[in-house]
This record gives sequence, C-alpha cells and structure tokens, in this order.
Amino acid sequence: MADTTYVPVPGDFELLTDRDITVDKNFASQSYWKGVATHFFHNRRAVVGLVLVLVIVILAILGPMLSPYAYDQIIRAADNEQVVAKGIAPPGTSEGSFAGMTFLFGTDDLGRDLWTRTWQGARVSLIIAFVTIFIDMIIGMSYGLISGYFGGMVDNVMQRIVEVANSVPRLVIVSVLAIFMPKGMGLVIVALLLTEWIGMSKIARAEMLKMKEQEYVLASRTLGAKSLHIIFKQILPNTIGPIITQMMFSIPTAIFTEAFLSFVGVGIMLPQCSIGSLISTGFNNITTLPYQILSPIAVLALQMLGFNFIGDGFREALAPKLEDM
Amino acid sequence: MVKHFTRRSFLGATGASTAALFLAACGGSGDSGSGGVAPSEGAAGGGSIGVMLYTNVMSLDTDLATDGDSFEVIADCIDGLMQMDADGKAVEALAETMEASDDGKTYTFTLRDAKWSNGTPVTANDFVFAWRRICKNAGEYAYMMSDIGQIKGAAAIVAGDEKDETTLGVTAKDDKTLVVELEVPVPYFDSLMYFPTFYPINEEFYTSLEDGTYGTSPATFLSNGAFVLGDYTPGTASLTVTKNPDYWNADVVKLDSINYQVVGSSDNALTAFKSNSLDVVMISGNQVASAEEDADLKDKLTVTGAGYMWYLTFSQTKKNAQGGMLANQNLRLAISNAIDREALVDNYVMDGSLATYTAVPPQFAASATTGEDFSADQTMFSDYIGYDVDKAQKFFEEAKKELKTDTFEFTMIYGNNEGDEVEKVAQAIKEQVEGNLSGITLNLQGMTKAERLDKMQEDNYDVALTRWGPDYADPMTYLGMWITNNSNNYGFWSNKEYDKIIADCTTGDLVSDYDARWSALYDAEALVMQEAVIAPLYTKANANLINPSVQGIEFHPVALNRVYKNTTKA
Amino acid sequence: MAKYILKRVGLALLTLFLIVFILFVLVRIMPGNPFPSERMSAEQIANKRAEMGLDDPILVQFGRYFMNLLHGDFGKGTSLYYGAPINTVLSTCISNSFRIGGIAILEGTAVGLLLGITAALNKGRFLDGFCTVFSILGVCVPGYVFLIFLQYFFAYRIPFFPYFFDPNRFVFSAILPSLSLSLFTMSTVARFTRNEMVEVMDSDYVHLAESKGMTGSLLVRKHILRNALIPIVTVLGPLIVDLLTGALVVEKIYGINGIGKLMVDAIAGEGVDYNYVLALGILYSALYIGIMLVVDILYGIIDPRIRVSASGEGEA
Repeated sequence: MADTTYVPVPGDFELLTDRDITVDKNFASQSYWKGVATHFFHNRRAVVGLVLVLVIVILAILGPMLSPYAYDQIIRAADNEQVVAKGIAPPGTSEGSFAGMTFLFGTDDLGRDLWTRTWQGARVSLIIAFVTIFIDMIIGMSYGLISGYFGGMVDNVMQRIVEVANSVPRLVIVSVLAIFMPKGMGLVIVALLLTEWIGMSKIARAEMLKMKEQEYVLASRTLGAKSLHIIFKQILPNTIGPIITQMMFSIPTAIFTEAFLSFVGVGIMLPQCSIGSLISTGFNNITTLPYQILSPIAVLALQMLGFNFIGDGFREALAPKLEDM
Repeated sequence: MVKHFTRRSFLGATGASTAALFLAACGGSGDSGSGGVAPSEGAAGGGSIGVMLYTNVMSLDTDLATDGDSFEVIADCIDGLMQMDADGKAVEALAETMEASDDGKTYTFTLRDAKWSNGTPVTANDFVFAWRRICKNAGEYAYMMSDIGQIKGAAAIVAGDEKDETTLGVTAKDDKTLVVELEVPVPYFDSLMYFPTFYPINEEFYTSLEDGTYGTSPATFLSNGAFVLGDYTPGTASLTVTKNPDYWNADVVKLDSINYQVVGSSDNALTAFKSNSLDVVMISGNQVASAEEDADLKDKLTVTGAGYMWYLTFSQTKKNAQGGMLANQNLRLAISNAIDREALVDNYVMDGSLATYTAVPPQFAASATTGEDFSADQTMFSDYIGYDVDKAQKFFEEAKKELKTDTFEFTMIYGNNEGDEVEKVAQAIKEQVEGNLSGITLNLQGMTKAERLDKMQEDNYDVALTRWGPDYADPMTYLGMWITNNSNNYGFWSNKEYDKIIADCTTGDLVSDYDARWSALYDAEALVMQEAVIAPLYTKANANLINPSVQGIEFHPVALNRVYKNTTKA
Repeated sequence: MAKYILKRVGLALLTLFLIVFILFVLVRIMPGNPFPSERMSAEQIANKRAEMGLDDPILVQFGRYFMNLLHGDFGKGTSLYYGAPINTVLSTCISNSFRIGGIAILEGTAVGLLLGITAALNKGRFLDGFCTVFSILGVCVPGYVFLIFLQYFFAYRIPFFPYFFDPNRFVFSAILPSLSLSLFTMSTVARFTRNEMVEVMDSDYVHLAESKGMTGSLLVRKHILRNALIPIVTVLGPLIVDLLTGALVVEKIYGINGIGKLMVDAIAGEGVDYNYVLALGILYSALYIGIMLVVDILYGIIDPRIRVSASGEGEA
C-alpha cells in the first residue's frame, strides 16, 4: 500500500540453478500459516500466554518428578512415627518447616507435599482438557459442518439433538455414566465429551453457513464432487482457524467443569488429584490455612489467563486486518 | 513448633479423660474480661441466639423427619411425654406421671394441662393419632414403634400385614390418660418417649389441612413446646423459632428466639462465629486446631458427644472381595489391628472424637442400676483390636496361609458428602493398612451417602466406611444390627450364639432382669469383636464454639443433640 | 414471521417433551435410592415403592407423571424436603436464584459493555490492554473464590454487609453473591463487545460514514454500537441460563436456598430424589430452550437476513 515504486535492478531475474527449487511447492499454504505465526508472535499478550502455558505444561510434566515425594505420600519424619498432622505452611512463615523439612507450597491436611500434588493435579487437569477438547473438536466439527452443509430437515433434526444434549443437567449425566464405568479420570473425560462438543459444533455450523454459498463450493459441486468430499476436503481447511480459536477457549471451560465435578464429589477419585479436587479440598480451609488453596488456584488462574491470551492471539492472527491498524 | 504437630490434641486428651465434659453445657463462663463480645445480629432484645445447622431442615413432620437437625427444631416446638434433663435422663414433660405395670408391659401416662399454639388442649388422643399415623405410614423411624418400642400390634401395621391401624396398642382412656401396651417389657421405654417419633400431633388441626401441607409453614404447624415456629419455608437455609408464651413450663424458658442458619463448611462456620453472626457453631479439622491456638477462641470451645460411631464393615459374601476373602476372620482382624485410631482422631478428625475399640461406642448408654457407661473400658477387647503392627502382621500371615494367596486388592467405599473429615480418614486408613500390611491394596471409591448405602444394601462392596448413631440410650441400638439377616448387617455375618443372646435380650427371658441382660450384652459384643465383624474407628464428637454470653445449652449424644429450654443469653 | 415463530415454538415444545422423557428414564437408572433408609425393612421399602407407583411399567409411570406435569404438579420429594409439595419448595428457590441471578446479569452486562466499549474505542492503546486483561481476569478465578474474599473482607473484617443471605433484606444481602456471580458475564460480554466493535469499526460502511465526515459519539452510537451489539444477544442467552441455574457453590457459601444447591441436594444429598431431579432438570431444559427460542426470534427481528435464511432452510 505504502511504497509502490520499484526500480528494477540487474540480477532480478537470474535463474537459481544451484538451488533446490522444489521447496516452493507448498508455498501458498505455508505463507498463510507463516503469516498467522508472525502475527501471533508479534502479539505480546499471545506470547505471554504461550509462555505461561508452556511453563505450566513443563512443570506439570517435570514437577512431580523433581519432588522427592510421591503425590499420594503421607510424609513422615525420620523416626517414621510422627505424621505431619495439620498442614505445614510454606517456608518463611512461623510454621514453615517440620523436622527439618520444608515444603515450597506447604502440605495438605494429610501431610502430603502440595508442590507435588499441585503439579500432579495440573497434569491430570491438562490431560483431561486436551483429550476432551481434541476429541470434541473432531466430533463437534464434523457434526456442525454436516448439519450446516445439508441444512433443511437434517439440520433441523441435528439441532434439536443438540438442544436435547445441552439440556440434560451435567450432574445427571455423570451419575448415570458412573453406573457403566468406574469413577475417576475416564468418567470425567467421557462426561465432558458428551457436553463440550456442542460449542464447537455451533462454531463449525456457523462457519459452514458462511462458506457454503461461496463460489468454490458451487464450482466443486458442479464438477460432481461428493458432499463429504466438499465438507471435509474443501470447506474444513477454511474453517480451521475459528475452530482452533474456539479450542483455546474450550480448554479453560473443560478445566473449570472438571473443577466443578470434583467440587460436587463426582470428579477425580482420591488420593489422585486434579486442580479441581485440590481447590475443593483447599476450600475447606480457605481462611484458616489459605496457602492450601493458593497454589492450585494460582495454577488454575494462570492456565486460564494463558489459554485465553493464546485464544485471543490466534483470533487476531487469523484475521490480521484487525491488527494492521 | 515441632511440639505443635506431635502432641495429642488438647481436645482428644480431655475428651477421653472425662465424660463429664461431654455433658457439660458450656465452658468459659468466668471469662468476661477478655474482649467484649458484641451481641449477635438482630439480638436487640438480648434473648435471641444464632445457631448453626449442618443441613437444611428436611421436614417438621415427625413421621417424615429423619435427621438430627430436623429433630432438634421439632423438639424446640413440640414436647413429648418425657423430655431430657441436663444429664440426658428422661424426666416428665407432657406426662405428669408415668406408671408401669408390674410385668412391665403396660404404661399409663397422665397428662398435664398443656395447650397447642392454637389454644386447644393437648389430649391423649393427640398421641394416639400421631403414633397410629407413624405406624401406618411405615417410614424410616416407624421401627421405633415396632422393633424398639415393642408396642403391641405395631410390627404388623408397619410391615403392612395389618391394614387397620386402630389395632395399635395405644388407647386414650380419657382426655388425660394414655395407656400403652407392649409386647414385651422394654427396659428403656421411658427414654424413648423423648424421641420426636413419639411426639403428639393434633388430629383436628391435621385433618383440617390440605393433604401434604402439614409442617410446611408456620400456619400449618402447631406447637405445644417451648418455642413456636417463626419463620420457615421448606428448603430454607435459615429459620426462626420464637418463645411460646403459652408453653406449660413457659417460666423456665428465657430465650426470645433462636435463629438457625445452615452453614456449609467448617471454615465458613469459624468466620461466621468470629464475625458474631452466630453464637453457636460447630467446627472440625483444622478450624479446631486454629481455634485452639487462638487465645480468645480457645475458651469458647466446648466438646460435646455427637453419639454416632464410624466403623468399617467387611462384606463376607462370595461375590465380593476376590471371592469372599474377607470372610476370613484373620484377614479382618489384621486390617482392624493395622489401623492407628488415635492418629485418625488426633490428626484428621481433630474435633475431640474418641478412638473407639468396642462395638458399642462409649458415653451414650449407662447402666440404670450402676450408672456406669457400657463402654467405659475401651481395653476390654485388646486381644482383638488395637494398633499393633506386629499383631496385625501375625494375623495377616495366618490369613495368607489360610487363603493361599499373598496379594489382596479391595475397594473401600465411603461417602464424600458426609463431612470433610471422612475423606481424610479414608485416605489415612488406606495409607495405614497398605503401609502396615504389604500385600493389601485398598482402592478408594468416594460416592454420595445414598449411593454408598445402596451398594451396601445390595451387598456390592468389599469394605465400607460407615456410621451409626444411637437412636436410644441402650447398647441394643448397636448390637441389634449384627443378628442374622438384619438389614444393617451389611457384612452378612451370621452367628447362632449371637442371635440367641440378642433374642433373649429383646424379647426373651432376660428382658425383665436388667443386670443379667446387661452382662449378656457384653457377651454378645465380645463375639462381634472376636470375629472382627466390624472394625470400630471413632466416636464422633462436636467441637462447638459458643458465645460466652450464651449459657445453658444442653448437649446430648442421643436423640436430641441440643436442647435450649434452659438456655439464657446475657 | 408469525409462521416462523409458530414453527419454532412448536419445535421447541416437541424438543421439551423429548427431554422430559429422556430425563425421566435417566433419573430412574441413576444410582442411589429414592428412599434412602437404614431403618426400614425390605418390605417397608417395597411398600413405599409400590405406593409411589415405581413398580409399574416405565411408560405407565411416565404417562402418569406427564399428566400431572401438564397440571403444573411436580409431585413430592422422596428423600428431600419430604412431605412438602415440590412446587412450594421450588417457588422459593426459583425466586431467590432468579432475583440474584438477574441482578448479576444486569451488573455483569453493564460493566462488561462499559469495559468492552472503552477497550474498542481505545484500541491498541493502554486502556484497551487494561480493560482486556481486566476482563480476562474475571474468567480466571471461580466466582465463589471471589465471594469468599468479599465475605471475609466486607462482612467480617469490615462488617458492613450481612454475613449470610437474609431473605428479609433481599437486595442488600444479594449484593455480595450477585457481584461474584457477575464476574463471568462481565468478562464474556466485555470481550465479545470489544471484538465485535473492532470488527464493525473496520467495516466498509463505517469507513464510508467516516469519510462522509461523521465522527464521535454519533458514529459510535448510530453505526458501530448498534451493529456490534446484535450478536451479544447470542452469547447472553446461555449465560443467563447458567446464571439462573448454576450458582451452587455461591449459594452454599452464602446460605441462599436457590436452585443450584437444590439440584446438588437432590442428586448428591441423602438419596436420589427422583421428583426433585426431574423437576429441576425440566426447569433447566425449559429455560434453556425458551431462552434460545427468544434469542432466535429476537435475532430474526433485529436482523432480517437471519430470518429469511432460517425460514428458507426450514422450507427446503
């Protein structure tokens, strides 16, 4: 836009005989994603979000390993008799150590190391979030695209199914599911799977409604392409942006929902822990021993912040015109 | 600092040493200089107190209420034939006199002049109507009429075999005389009469109401007791009862009103107390520890017995526990001896609950002749229960030999909506058992109390962490559970000798010989302990914080946990 | 238009009927007993079940339930607030939850719009960043944690507000819980408003308006806000349903008898109360479907393009 006068110089059109020119093969699609990446990494908040999430993911992987204690280990002093009864506060406070041991995040009511449990919990929560969101993306996307593409009766019926699925209270679903499978991480994942795909399908459907009137779809159809081919081979790649954005916003929702299920007592089974179950346990001592809820809440909040920043960054990067001002 | 974590909790120590403390109404009366305590909110008149409830009041209908909080509010408003005095003894309330026949099978009550809050007098017919209704509706507590109270004809009506509820052995001889006939003598019958199931309902008022609305609002509820219902809707988190000026004993009642508030967590209760929003709250776990450390709160802490005992029950049938492994007595004894109960109450429950080593918990049933607590001696069965890792391992070796396997994997179910401490206790038991008996894996499965009960009743569990509260002040409220085919015998344990002793003590020869029955009950208890039918864990206590300006709340471990008739507020 | 609305309402009722049936079946296979009991004998429980008609074929039971439902009768609780008709309990809880939720929606939407508009008008500048981060913080911490802080500081440390909910001083004691509930709405509305506005501000017709010399508040009001706010209707719908029904923890902490806590008590209380779970489930579904319907119809009124395409599809 700015500078359009270009003065050709010799050498502009030399043949690059000594280079491998096949790298240009996918140039068009690469440049799109490259552009997205450039925009993304120029967005300071998005980078902060990415770093936050990466740090949490790394700590969730390494944190429990770096600790001398197991997440479910009730810590005893050297003589093996004294159990750390009440929680021990983080170091720096008056009750910050026990028998010479200190605990960075303190210990919980059973005398278990909260550093280990927090990162173990973060790990469980992240696994739940990633697994459900990934599967939900596939289910929700296919569902929404198909519903939107065919429209009419198909759409009508499929949208009523969405309404039904969305209307059954989550607690009822979880309780019924618990008959068919053991409680714990698997149950939480399945319960989330059953409800979280709906948001995704709505986005996909909306995108489809926008896309299907475009010329290239019409062209394909005229050329005799099958519906499924058009949906998944041609339209899907063009809707992936908003869907990834939605994914980033869905991860916090999944973590929050897991926290709610744990709070009500149908989440993770003890002594395993998740961020949600740690919050619900720490909640019992929130004014008496606030440090117990502090670390899981902080991790939850930072995760949320991170994913939201990334989601925002993605959305802006995918619609770069917003950022060009 | 280290001392802080190792010493036995103050409450545990004092609670164990003296039963008197359990029944003491309120401590810290002498401390008035330390910090002025503001009056509770809305207590302009001075005689109003704010009291915490654990759960919402479920029903004010004696036929439908099943929880302690509901019973407490009902008892505020309605008097029965008898009431509890400060020591938990049954003394006359609406009954002016009570006479038992020589064979102990007929009781005649003469009623005093008392009025319902709509002005009609309380008559013997009000009792007849209420009791018949309970039997006919056959709800949760109908068994108080049949199995426990042994009232003539009750069993058949409750079971639905007899459709005519007028066959119940209760008659109003005249307005003032109530005659109750029993199938067999019941040694503790007088103490049943303060239980809300036996309270009267005014028939005329009840039948004038639209079906199903009794007790759902102040307008559909009549009281004859110390208080009348002030502010109440079903499901409410806060309700009020106010002084009943027409109460037959209105002179002793000093309080103007009690404002009840449901509080969801111990932490919230502590802050509510500190903010003077409530005068009486119950706390547990770390909140007790933090109150103990607080110079101001420490004096306001009072431990009272909550009555109920937590214990482990083991399914002994083939379909559970790896083909009925837990039917092995040595395995059960091994698990029971691998649990450090003192550590459980000191470190995790922390509210003054007592580690328990008897099948009948201490401090609720005292002998009528000697006055001695049935389970005062907690070392009675030390051969079979205690924390002794060596002994546990010896039992375990035996079990391994008999069962021809080295590894056991069981699932322990517990309720995750039964209090914060239950989750902690379950995890601690897992750690202790797995740590002390290598080879056992105890998986935890938390669920709602309803689901836990369902699983236990369907015999679909290995080990369960469960509880039982005494309904009346006699060891039978516990020992009656382990007879063959009792619905509470979740382990499906069966022992002919045991069944016989219990039958003798409830309907047989021993019912009329108090002391012989008492000692026979010990024999029965010994059988339960020797075979480790259950592993008793601890007897729950409540750690109450009480505003020092409030005096004279009477606490009881049985039936009515708190009574406010003699309560004053400065 | 009337035909479109009629059709949507008809479909919504059909969906609701389907949901009632599905819920009815689901509730009956939920674990836990409708008559939780440790003192009743097996025959007593069997009698109770027979009395409630729980032994009849499920379709018979459903027929009976549905007929009562048509008369607005939800029946009675079996393990929860037994004795009292569910309608009595429900009406108090609904009134509490709706009023507190309603206040929260108003607070959240008002503050959210303010933040969103401020951010969009100052796009790229400090205020934008501040408002955006501030609104994201709202979704980072669960509302009940916020409530505990509010309760601790403004009802205990500075005892200005009541420590527990007091139905007799409704508005005053609703301030703390509604504030903490409004966070999520505030946050969502703020971010949505900002993004929509930025998009609209970048659209051709706004550029055209600008090039005609239109500036300032007139431009914002007439062209930007109006078009940016239309889609907010779509996000507000589900938020309203959640706020009216999903305040469990807040209700528990602040001692409010609302429907969030009632739902948990009905499922995870003493027993599984079939009738309460059903009543609350139906209420939730009806709210959800009803609000979605309103949103769709409103949207159709505000933005005729949608109506045309939607009804066109329906015909196809």
